Amino acid sequence: MPSLKDIKTQINSVGSTKKITSAMKMVAASKLRRSQEKAEAARPYSSRLEEMLSSLASSAASGEGIIKLLTGTGNDQNYVVVPVSADRGLCGGFNSSINRETFKLVKSLEGNGKKVQLMPVGKKSRDFFNRVMKDQIIESFVDLNVSSTGYESALNISNKLQELYFDGKFDKCILVFNKFKSAISQEVTQQQLIPLDVSNSEKEEEKENSSNAIYDYEPDEETILKDLLPKNVSIQIFKVLLESDAGEQGARMAAMDNATRNAGEMIDSLTLKYNRTRQAFITKELIEIISGAESI
Amino acid sequence: MATISFDLVSPENLVFNDEVGTIIVPGKDGDLGILPGHSKVMSSLRPGRVMVYSEDKNLIKSFFVSGGFAEINPEKCIVLAESVVEVNSLEKTSIEKEIQELENKEGKESEEQLSVAKAKLEAINVNYYDKI
Repeated sequence: MPSLKDIKTQINSVGSTKKITSAMKMVAASKLRRSQEKAEAARPYSSRLEEMLSSLASSAASGEGIIKLLTGTGNDQNYVVVPVSADRGLCGGFNSSINRETFKLVKSLEGNGKKVQLMPVGKKSRDFFNRVMKDQIIESFVDLNVSSTGYESALNISNKLQELYFDGKFDKCILVFNKFKSAISQEVTQQQLIPLDVSNSEKEEEKENSSNAIYDYEPDEETILKDLLPKNVSIQIFKVLLESDAGEQGARMAAMDNATRNAGEMIDSLTLKYNRTRQAFITKELIEIISGAESI
Repeated sequence: MATISFDLVSPENLVFNDEVGTIIVPGKDGDLGILPGHSKVMSSLRPGRVMVYSEDKNLIKSFFVSGGFAEINPEKCIVLAESVVEVNSLEKTSIEKEIQELENKEGKESEEQLSVAKAKLEAINVNYYDKI
């Protein structure tokens, strides 16, 4: 049976934990709002770029030079998988679900005889893959702080990827990230980055086909495409980083909300226990006094 | 006189969005003046000034873009630029310093940065298009 003092200390320590988690929750909530705004602000650019690209994609005939970003290398033997996680923990299953999904993807690709390399983004996935498949990591990016550094951080990743791609180091690149669905739910998503997957934007193309057909291109379609494709890679990465950032804050908010609630419940039950013990103690003392008095 | 709607978008946000009279964008093959009812054009841009004018041809704003794309149709003009700064907020001394630093470096990347910085400096110095 714990003494009164023990229970009291326990209540105090749970209480201070509760204070921390509720503060973290509030911080995450305000960060979430900011990240969400950022993600929304970036949307017009990426959607416009996609539209342009889909109207140009049909004009890419052969797979030479930069156009390879669209048409692929013709092989699919070497893969680069880019898991995008957070730099910090305490956000529920956010990081572990990314790591799990990536691990599964890598194993299934390897099962099909492909060669897979990793390029983790974020400390949590870097640390995880450093433990389980260290020799497959080619590069890692941590401390990106996408909400403050912005587009630059995406450019770094994109430049590195393209450098490797044009050196012929890999044929396909897949991003694994948490797609921001709402403040409380994220969905682990895989997106093929290189070569560009235009199939999902094709629907729009059909719809606008008649209007797209009569555009004049300056200087010409191929030159524009050559400018457009590398930009598109960077912008896709940027979009993913922003989504993941918003998702992280959302996940942390939900996790901390839960933790705060659990701490509250725990304090309640501990307080009950404290009061019961105190009462039992008083009763015991009374009985002792009474029985002592009776014996006289 | 009619107006044309103009969007200037950078990766981070929507910089400008309004109905305007005329826009001049730095196309790769030469500057493009865009009036309402312009034919459909898609062009890539070189580093330079994007000038926005009201219906009565007064300059509203001028931006510096480091390259990007313009999509033009009769009702709308959209400029996707990688980095956008208002020309007024550029500082001559800091750019000159940047140019000096870049000139000492080698490599493809700094060469590109150098050409952007030089275009920036030019954007401050020149004043054609201020009145049209």
